[in-house]
Amino acid sequence: MELDEAFRNYEDKIVRAWVDYTLSSYKSSTFFKKERDKFANPVGGNTFEALSKLFKLLTKNADPKEFVAPLDQVMRIRSIQEFSASEAVGPIHAVKHITREILEKDKERKHLIAELYDFEFAVDLAVLAAFDLYMQCREQLYKVRILEIKSGTHILTDSKCPSSMLKKDIDDLVKIHI
Amino acid sequence: MALAKLEQLSKSVVQGPSLVTGAVPTKDWMETPAIFKEGNFAYPAKQEKVEYLNSQVGLEFPNARIWSPLEDDWKLPENWQEIILNGLKERLGKFRSLKIFMDCCVRCGACADKCHFFLGTGDPKNMPVLRAELLRSIYRNDFTLAGKLFGKMAGAREMTVGVIKEWFMYSYQCTECRRCSVFCPYGIDTAEVTMMLRELLHLLGIGINWILEPASNSNRTGNHMGLQPHTFKDNVDFLAEDLETLTGIKINHTFNRKGAEILFITPSADVFAEPGLYTAMGYLALFEQLGLDYTWSTYASEGGNFGLFTSNELMKKLNGKMYAEAKRLGVKYIIGGECGHMWRVIHQYMDTMNGPADFLEVPKSPITGTVFNNAAATKMVHISEFTADLIRHGKIKFDPSRNAHVLPTFHDSCNPARAMGLMDEPRYILDHVVPKWVEMPENTIREQTFCCGSGTGLNTDEIMELRMRSGLPRANAVKHVIDKYGVNMLSCVCAIDRATLTSLMNYWNPGCGVCGLSELVGNALIMDNEKRAMGYDAEGNERELPDGFRTMV
Repeated sequence: MELDEAFRNYEDKIVRAWVDYTLSSYKSSTFFKKERDKFANPVGGNTFEALSKLFKLLTKNADPKEFVAPLDQVMRIRSIQEFSASEAVGPIHAVKHITREILEKDKERKHLIAELYDFEFAVDLAVLAAFDLYMQCREQLYKVRILEIKSGTHILTDSKCPSSMLKKDIDDLVKIHI
Repeated sequence: MALAKLEQLSKSVVQGPSLVTGAVPTKDWMETPAIFKEGNFAYPAKQEKVEYLNSQVGLEFPNARIWSPLEDDWKLPENWQEIILNGLKERLGKFRSLKIFMDCCVRCGACADKCHFFLGTGDPKNMPVLRAELLRSIYRNDFTLAGKLFGKMAGAREMTVGVIKEWFMYSYQCTECRRCSVFCPYGIDTAEVTMMLRELLHLLGIGINWILEPASNSNRTGNHMGLQPHTFKDNVDFLAEDLETLTGIKINHTFNRKGAEILFITPSADVFAEPGLYTAMGYLALFEQLGLDYTWSTYASEGGNFGLFTSNELMKKLNGKMYAEAKRLGVKYIIGGECGHMWRVIHQYMDTMNGPADFLEVPKSPITGTVFNNAAATKMVHISEFTADLIRHGKIKFDPSRNAHVLPTFHDSCNPARAMGLMDEPRYILDHVVPKWVEMPENTIREQTFCCGSGTGLNTDEIMELRMRSGLPRANAVKHVIDKYGVNMLSCVCAIDRATLTSLMNYWNPGCGVCGLSELVGNALIMDNEKRAMGYDAEGNERELPDGFRTMV
């Protein structure tokens, strides 16, 4: 109960630090951190929205399946940017350390650090889910690329007749789970 | 203790240039080199394509060779510095706009966060101000007194091989969409800076294949794909046959017909690639219903002009072809299809480049009598202007319920929106042809529209990741209307959009289709004596063309 209250009290502060840490991974991140309009600033806006939602889930013993939606929001972006896999997923870890640091500075709540096991386990699960999403996004990216090449090649090599593109095999190709 | 761990974590995941720990690069941008790796550059142009273009009268594409951005040695000609500086000098003299753009920027930064490449990558060199600075720093060094006297202190730097590599990297991470220009208090057209960078690089034989091959095809056979006249004709004929199967109406279209009132030119992608095919069917259906006296051309079989992405001379040559054909056929004026950059060339360069087209007449709709004075100089009317005018005068009938299978939003294609101001006509058409459609957020539409991320010849598959990054701002706004309203179709008026937004949606928003506006017009159009084919809708019920022109029959 006491820990729940601490999470509620520090939610804003932890999430802000977490978002800040995550956005620091970009070469030029001042604007990403400052602008809150999700449409003017898709990377910053989505990261903030996603991590805010995720933090709530991590602290309320939620079903790990619920992590996927907010994680997808941030991992779909990081998966196609200039990050290695560990760089893309890494910032999800950070919330553990940020939370410890913030609680540590509060003398009255410092003892709650010993109770963070469930929270930190949830973060571990989120990190694993983030890695799955990273891989899914990469595979999807390659499928999109293959689909683009195949549709083009088909037109150029097999067809002077555009209506042949309506053939069933192409239709099936389009339905690949992308 | 916790932060010490965090620092350790950061170090353990840091390998590349994107430091998890540091927001601001420790090095000045001038000292940060462009690093090429598979996936962040488009493949160089094939030697024979460059040689072919160089062999053409009036074009200059020297130094054709085999080279790779991945190698240290780009095999530049010996006097490459001299070539670049002379090239820049020549262009500063020829284009007053370039000289002004080099001098008047005060680096206020209003453009910095408006570029979709910056928003998708977080790379400071994708801020339009800094991208332009890549050229401006050289200009200062060699063409201004302050630069000559104070060097780096005045923002000047010497021309090095590293600068050339940087130019190649960043002039091909700009789609010349001109969103940044909308916000520039001085009206600097950063796209023109990119155009100059690309022109200068071509002097060294540096260009990309995805642009130069379609451009040379276009110069040779009239269209990007290199389709020969009979193939182009066959493709349109097959679309007409499909349309007859779908609507029961025989389409009476013609090719290269002298004496036709109107010449119709559209991007060749509409004739050979999905989903543009359905847009082309829309044109055919509309013109048939109107009984329009028009002709296609197998010579001017391409609206797209990759010269715009290459050099002003090539742009002029490819644009000239359309007008030469209009003159040869003796038409009164031209109707242009749903193309993006063709309209920038027409509205902003055509008149002083190839004009005046005084052998043509100011376009006048034969159906409504409307005179399109906005096209008095270019003699070329946009299909959406033409269609909106027909609707306004009640000359065509629609059944919007025929588009009940789609809930579209509208993507303003960069060039029609920002270069010709075509913003209300497509919306007016949508109001009449679909039961319902929705807008994306205000700061992502109309003149503030976000690029598809793959314009200016960047729609090649080897840079798919880059395209997904630069397309993020557009896809993000589409996702919003999908989540909020259930949008399932992204409509647009550009052929590059139709191709590239399809891949963009397949990654960011799977399940959302892409279509041309004229496809929706064709779907909803009530044609005289029509007998529409039956098909099955998503629920398995049999009804007339449940997926419009995409129905399998």
